[in-house]
Amino acid sequence: MSAEDEANLLVIVIDVNPIWWGQQAQREPQFTLSKCVDAVLVMGNSYMAMARTNKLAVIASHCQDSHFLYPNKTWRAGDSGGDDAPSSGDGKYELLSVANNLIADEIRNVMSQTEVRGNSTDTLLAGSLAKALCCILSSKSSNIGQEMKSRILVIKAAEDCALQYMNFMNVIFAAQKQNILIDACVLDSDSGLLQQACDITGGLYLKIPHKVALTQYLLWVFLPDTEERSQLVLPPPAHVDYRAACFCHRNLIEIGYVCSVCLSSKTAFKIKLPQMVKPKKKKLKQTT
Amino acid sequence: MKVRVQLQCKNLHEYLRELSPEILYRLYNHPATCLAVYRELPSLAKNYVMRMLFLDQPLPQAAVALWVKKDSQKDHNECVSVLAGLRLWHSQQLQGGLQGYMLNPVFKDNLRIALLGGGRAWADEGSALGPDRHARDIESLDRYAMERWEVILHFMVGSPSAAVSPDLAQLLVQADLMKSEAGEAPYITSAGFQFLLLDTASQLWYFTLQYLKTAQSRGMDLVEILSFLFQLSFSTLGRDYSVEGMSKSLLIFLQHLREFGLVFQRKRKSRRYYPTRLAITLAAGVTMNSSSDLASTSVTGDAGFIVVETNYRIYAYTNSELQIALVALFSEMLYRFPNVVVAQVTRESVQQAIANGITAQQIIHFLRTRAHPVMLKQTPVLPPTITDQIRLWELERDRLHFSEGVLYNQFLSQADFEVLRDRAQDLDCLVWQDVAHRMMVVTPQGHGEVKRFWKRQKSHT
Repeated sequence: MSAEDEANLLVIVIDVNPIWWGQQAQREPQFTLSKCVDAVLVMGNSYMAMARTNKLAVIASHCQDSHFLYPNKTWRAGDSGGDDAPSSGDGKYELLSVANNLIADEIRNVMSQTEVRGNSTDTLLAGSLAKALCCILSSKSSNIGQEMKSRILVIKAAEDCALQYMNFMNVIFAAQKQNILIDACVLDSDSGLLQQACDITGGLYLKIPHKVALTQYLLWVFLPDTEERSQLVLPPPAHVDYRAACFCHRNLIEIGYVCSVCLSSKTAFKIKLPQMVKPKKKKLKQTT
Repeated sequence: MKVRVQLQCKNLHEYLRELSPEILYRLYNHPATCLAVYRELPSLAKNYVMRMLFLDQPLPQAAVALWVKKDSQKDHNECVSVLAGLRLWHSQQLQGGLQGYMLNPVFKDNLRIALLGGGRAWADEGSALGPDRHARDIESLDRYAMERWEVILHFMVGSPSAAVSPDLAQLLVQADLMKSEAGEAPYITSAGFQFLLLDTASQLWYFTLQYLKTAQSRGMDLVEILSFLFQLSFSTLGRDYSVEGMSKSLLIFLQHLREFGLVFQRKRKSRRYYPTRLAITLAAGVTMNSSSDLASTSVTGDAGFIVVETNYRIYAYTNSELQIALVALFSEMLYRFPNVVVAQVTRESVQQAIANGITAQQIIHFLRTRAHPVMLKQTPVLPPTITDQIRLWELERDRLHFSEGVLYNQFLSQADFEVLRDRAQDLDCLVWQDVAHRMMVVTPQGHGEVKRFWKRQKSHT
């Protein structure tokens, strides 16, 4: 086995936007957030069961912030099973049952304690991805000498938010530079940003036709690592929406003007260079 | 001909494949074994198993073959043969007359249990006994495990201080690691020398395999102890487990494991035990390639202590009798100080070691895995002159190469000789020829064909 001395890290980012999941529960009562988390747990368990060196991290991406569900600050993976480790009392592998209980507890906390304040209802996906990158980097620096292969899997529910375009692109290019794959499993509407992310980093983008079968999609398409992906027949790459967002209104534009000095793209042609610090207030209309 | 006996270290799959189907089926009745077997599958096969884990109907073989790209069809066939060899896949007739694959139902159920829960608990948790007054932390467990293991190794090199139970001594003899003449203390064999130079994980696995081989003759149930072993390897370090509900033979097995240092039990009658790091890495140590170096050094917890210089000197910063004895296996001792020994690798000493059955590869591997941190900073870790020279010294013993053959001579004419020689060359069975004396040697496999050809040739003329 060649992959014995290298560690693998999979970071799963779940979109837990309460507004979208609330609407979803009304639309399709058979597929709710808890079903989705169940599917993610199965995926995570299968991943950790595959090899001893496989590590998992789960991040919940909420409207206001993103939370680490696993590994948690209070419980460090691996060493201290300790006294508070809850025992499942059934035939499950201990490590897995500890992890699953932890994730379930954490997500309950996140969903019950975080209130939706203000009018921002978009998922902070870019922030969560940045957090995932930080997590990968910190675990990379903690075991030097060991080769580390990491990838990020995004389970995306809510709509795209063009406001995050800049942050998102920064994250994508940072990931590309670190050789980190970003995979995306999209539940609802296509996401241009994630399409670009997957295309640039070489990951897989899949919009699943049947939400109820999420577990199978995860196991079939997203479980294989990079090496096996070259051997398996997987869904063909999706058509990528490469529209950029303009710097002035954060809208996705097909044709724009690019400043030759700062390379920013604009919707309108202006001779006078705008002051970069001052946002233009009168033109700020949110059309998505 | 090579007389050297290589120490054969099988990996888990090779071992399991040799078991009879009935034993395999019974093994799959435990989630821990299923998980252990699953982990050792080739990565592509792991994905196959996962894809089929939640399917209840058989899949057509043609559909499964389409899962992989054309150019990796070879890997696919390999995976299929591995899965079939371990009886994880069943072929089944589909309704339309097609052949289909289905996951072994017992294996499927138990792997699901291991992943998703349900079923019976593997072992009674120690928590039922209340907190342990003599709880052990991880460091002390590690120390304990290494101490126990080293006692065995000490015993093998014949240190007077090391004493092991008669059971263990007998096991070492049965494993051909030691030999004992009637009435005398057992002494080490050449296989034993090779064994000593392996890293701890490999030693442990080899030893366990030997134990399992003799388990049935001790009246133990192979399935029971294998399941327990795998269960142990998936338990959490630093946690206590209860011996409640274990059968009598399993309790004996536990005592043996205690002697090897795989589990810690405070007293023989103690109701709880702690698995040590040795037990937990047991299932991980089954891959026998050198890439597990890093893992093995971190397992044993001791830093490297050997410095090798290009002038063939070895400085070993250790007090351990065992390590010194190991270094002395292939080098000449020069000086000894309280914390360091100095030895010299010479042609004689290496050849002596090789005569004992140790290979150059094993010596180099030993030096590399125990290299001092200062040595680890340079690449390559060992000076290439030393490694090359050790390999050359090994090759010196291999200057003669034996191959069996049949001699043809006393040809009447040069033409006859040439015809037959060309024929043998075409058949690719010519070993040697001497044109001047009209002699040639062919391999035993080719002899029949060449002889027939010669008879035909003679009858023609």
